[in-house]
This record gives sequence, C-alpha cells and structure tokens, in this order.
Amino acid sequence: MTSLGNSQVNVVRALSASAPGDDVYAFALAAIGNSLGWQFGAAWEPDEPDEKELRCVGTWTDRTIDAAAFETVTRATVLARGEGLPGRVWEDGTAMWLAGAPRDMRLPRRQAVAASGLRTAVCFPLHSERGFLGAIEFFTSAELDADERLLATMDDLGLQVGQLLERRWAEEAAHEGAQRLRAVLEAALDCVVIIDNEGRLLEFNPSAERMFGIPADAALGREIAEVMVPPELRERHRAGLARCAAGESAGLLGTRIETEAMRADGTRFPVELAITQIKASDPPLFAGHLRDITARRRAEDELRASRARIVEAADAARRRIERDLHDGAQQHLVGVALSLRLARQKLEPDDHATARLLDDAIAELTTAADELRELARGIHPAVLVEGGLEPALRGLVARCPVPATLSGIPPQRLPAPVEVTAYFVAAEALTNVARYAQARRVEVTAELRNDVLALEIRDDGRGGADPGVGTGLRGLADRLAAIGGTLQISSDPGAGTALRAEMPCGS
Amino acid sequence: MRVLLIDDHSAFRVNAQRALEAEGHDVVGTAANGESGLRAAHELDLDVVLLDVGLPDISGLEVARQLHEELPSLPVVLISTHDAGDFAELARTNGARGFLSKAELSGEALARLVAVG
Repeated sequence: MTSLGNSQVNVVRALSASAPGDDVYAFALAAIGNSLGWQFGAAWEPDEPDEKELRCVGTWTDRTIDAAAFETVTRATVLARGEGLPGRVWEDGTAMWLAGAPRDMRLPRRQAVAASGLRTAVCFPLHSERGFLGAIEFFTSAELDADERLLATMDDLGLQVGQLLERRWAEEAAHEGAQRLRAVLEAALDCVVIIDNEGRLLEFNPSAERMFGIPADAALGREIAEVMVPPELRERHRAGLARCAAGESAGLLGTRIETEAMRADGTRFPVELAITQIKASDPPLFAGHLRDITARRRAEDELRASRARIVEAADAARRRIERDLHDGAQQHLVGVALSLRLARQKLEPDDHATARLLDDAIAELTTAADELRELARGIHPAVLVEGGLEPALRGLVARCPVPATLSGIPPQRLPAPVEVTAYFVAAEALTNVARYAQARRVEVTAELRNDVLALEIRDDGRGGADPGVGTGLRGLADRLAAIGGTLQISSDPGAGTALRAEMPCGS
Repeated sequence: MRVLLIDDHSAFRVNAQRALEAEGHDVVGTAANGESGLRAAHELDLDVVLLDVGLPDISGLEVARQLHEELPSLPVVLISTHDAGDFAELARTNGARGFLSKAELSGEALARLVAVG
C-alpha cells in the first residue's frame, strides 16, 4: 500500500479529473480502492425522499478476486439505519473497521462475504455541509487488524469525497439545467434573446437568427438596440432598459408589448414582445421573447376589413330600402293624400256624408304615412344622409322620452360609416335609457380629437346594465369594432350608466 | 303666389300643382333636379320656391343654401316625406323659410310659412 497521504491526494486528484456526467462513485471507489489496496468497494446512499434505507449505488472490484456473487448480493441489499456495516456508519457518523467479517453476526451479507473469500471490511461516511450523504465500504481478503490512522484518513476522505460529490452534483444539476435551457432555446418557435443590463446580447436562439436574418455569432456581444430595434425607437428602448436595470420596470417587465422590430436587411415587421428579468442575476439579466405578428396583424386587418365591408353592405342595403320606400310607397301615399284633400275641397258644402268619409280616409292615410316614415327612419335616417350627425342626433334627443341634452357634436361631416355608427350607438343607448334606466335625465356629448370621435351617453338612472345581456350592446360593440372603434360601458348599480364609443375618423 | 316646384317625383309635381292651383296659387314652373331648379329660380318671377330635400343631382339643402345666397329675398320652403322634426331646424339653418311634410302640403300652409318670414 502507498502512504495514506499520497492516497488521499490521488483520490482527490482522480475525482477532480472526472467530468460532469461521469459516474462519480466509480471514480471514487476505484481511486480509493487502488490507492489503499482494497479489493471490493461499494457506495451506499439513502433512499430518496424518505432517507430511511440505504441502497447500493455503485460497486468496484479489483482484478485479484472474483467478487461477482458478492457484488450481486450487495446491489440487491437494502439496509436500515443501524443495519449492516454502512447502516452502522450512518448511525454512528464515523468510520468503522470490521475484522473477521464472515463471522460478524450483524453483517447481513456475511455468507456472501465468506463465499467470496473476503475477510476484512472498512466503511466510512460521506459528509458535506448538508450532513450525511452516504457511505463507502471496502473489503479485502486479507485478515487485517483495525488501523486507527487509516480510519482517521477514511473520515477525512469521507468529508473530501462528500464535498466533491456535492460540488459535482451541483455542477451536474447546473449542466443539466443548461442543457435543458439550450434544448428549449433551440426548439423554441419564438425568438428568445438574453441581454445584460447594458443591452448586450448574451443569447440569440435559432428562431432569432431566422427572424432577424443574422447568425448568432454576429449578434452576440452587440447591443440589442443596434441588432433588432429600428433607429427611431432605440433611445426609447435604451431608456426602458435603463429603468428596468434600475429596478423601475414601469410596467415593462412581465407584460406583452406590441412594437416594431427591424431585420438585418433593414426591413421592419410587427412583433409581440415579453420581457422578464432572470431571477438572482446581479447585475440583472433580461430575457426577451419576441413573436413575429405580421400574419396575425394581416389576419386582423383582413377580419376588420371584412367586417367593415359587411357593415357597409348592410348600411347600403338599408339605405336602398329607405330610398325605395321614399321613392315608392311614401310618394304614392302623398299623392293619394293630396288627391283626397283636393276632392274634399271640391265637395259640395252640404255633402257631409262624403266629407266624413274623406276625412276618415285622410286621417287613416296620414297615420299610414307616419308609420311608414318612422319605419323608414328606423331603417336608415335620411336626415343623417342629408344633414349629417348633428341634426340626426338632435332629432333623436328631441324624441327621447327622458329629458336629454346634446353637446359637442362636431359641425363638419364625418366619414359615412362613422356617422351611421355613431347614430345607431346613440339611438340604441337612448332607447335603453328610456326602457330600463329609470333616469331623470340623459346627456349626449361628443368630442372630436386627434381624428377620433368620442361619443358618450350618460344617464342618472339606476345603473347595473349588463353588457353581456341582450344583443343590443353586443351588436353595437361589433359594429364599432368593424370600423376600428371601441365601446366602454360603466354602470355600477345606483350610479347611472355611461356608454362611451370611440371611432377613428381618419382614412 | 307664384310658385316654383322643384321635385324629382313627377307624380308629386302633378298632384302638388293641382292642389296649389285649386287654392288659387300659380305654379309658374317645375323642375326635376337641383340644377334646372336653380336656373329656373333665377329666370322666373317668383314668390316662393317649393324645394324637395332629396334631389338626384344636388342636395335640396345645398340648393336652398345657394338660393339664399344668390336670391336672399326669395322665400324657399323645403318639402319631403321625411319627419318635420328632423328637418325643420335643418331647413332654417340652410337658409330656407321652413319645412313642410309633403302629405300636409297645402296652399294655406305654404302661405303661412312665407308670411312668417
């Protein structure tokens, strides 16, 4: 046997030479066994997660004995705390020498030991700062008396091996984590980048390479703003990053942002961006997930355009029906009414019976004409076409059974889809106020700012309107969406209802 | 009153002319669109123009504005099958003397509107 000091050095050197992924116990058993001249070794670890039993997790045999049978028994053996040599070491926490192993009644494997010709055993615990990690035992066919120096060395080795094991496990865990992260990044459909607190690119996955048309080698180490951000947005980007780096995320971290990105060839495209800060990084690192939303934007635009065309077609159809009523039935009724009046004028003064008949017919006809006019207005109000939004809304407000005021309506003509939508929003809202709100008054206000018309209908009624109930408000929301507009409703119980529609008026 | 009737519905022009003349008014001219109506308004000696809101070429409101600018002393009364509540104010803001529903057109109602101005 070599000197104990040299053995210790050899063991530590051998373990240090092992690479992540190597079987650490195989290295340790071989290094110790060879250095100290033992013939069979086994490593034991407590069962996870209960740690109530020890199981053999590795064996080593030198070439001087045939210990295959003993190895098989050892691998199949499970030891409770205090049981067998490793179990006793676990319990006592210190190295233990066992001379005359085949005769030791406390050794569960004594028959297999005897059959293999093994005589002497030593076992020592593996420790780290976390405590007991396991035990390593060695056997030899030589009859050896207990060697206190060797036991002390074994205890030292147990601590060193334990610490090395612990470090190796941590390295392996980190390596595995890095491998998993690498696999995720490689396979990610989204572009994933990692930057440091100064915006330098530390990670640039294959999706990012494809999306931005630049290989990772050319991107890594450069400032993200220069690689991915259009020039006019770079200062804003840098300011945002500086705020995040200073711990003032200002709503940037953890939220989805839609912005514009730029490829290496200068072409631009819309992206959805989510930024997260990588935990426990100091100085902070940030991960950015970007998704090219060109196709989604195109689909949204197409959907909006399609909805707008449907609404425009419906409006055109309604307008045509209104025109048909106006040019057809209504004109005929007018003609009949004028003729009846003329006939009434030409009656002999004393023909009272005919006069009554004509008066009744004229009254009936007037009622029919009024009803037809109301019908036509409900289909498409002519005043909107002829006079625009202001007189049309004034008519609505004047007919509202709840006292209503109108203010702020822009005097100029607006795009027809906006006028029609605004009119029907106000008509539906005022109808709801009259039917359900129990309001004493209602205000219709409008404001045209930055090419957006905001129309608000606010009452002082009972509130509690549920936009999800009925089709009216949902229909309005759909109609607004078709022209790129939005609908907001606030209607707390007892606080009245405010309906606000915003409609872009630009081309 | 000497009346110019501008309306694109021929049946209405006939009926209205008959009704007004039965009440002693004189329909001195008729036109089926805004352009010919404007021309006739300048050429004829008139007391009032009866003007349909919905014309095929120019909006009746636009014709009313032009007549108010060019012939400010000539009363213009807008007519339509549409609701008077919608159009009465609109008629006045466009320079017309007032608005009459076609079904209620009569020489008397017309004279009343002209007299008010």
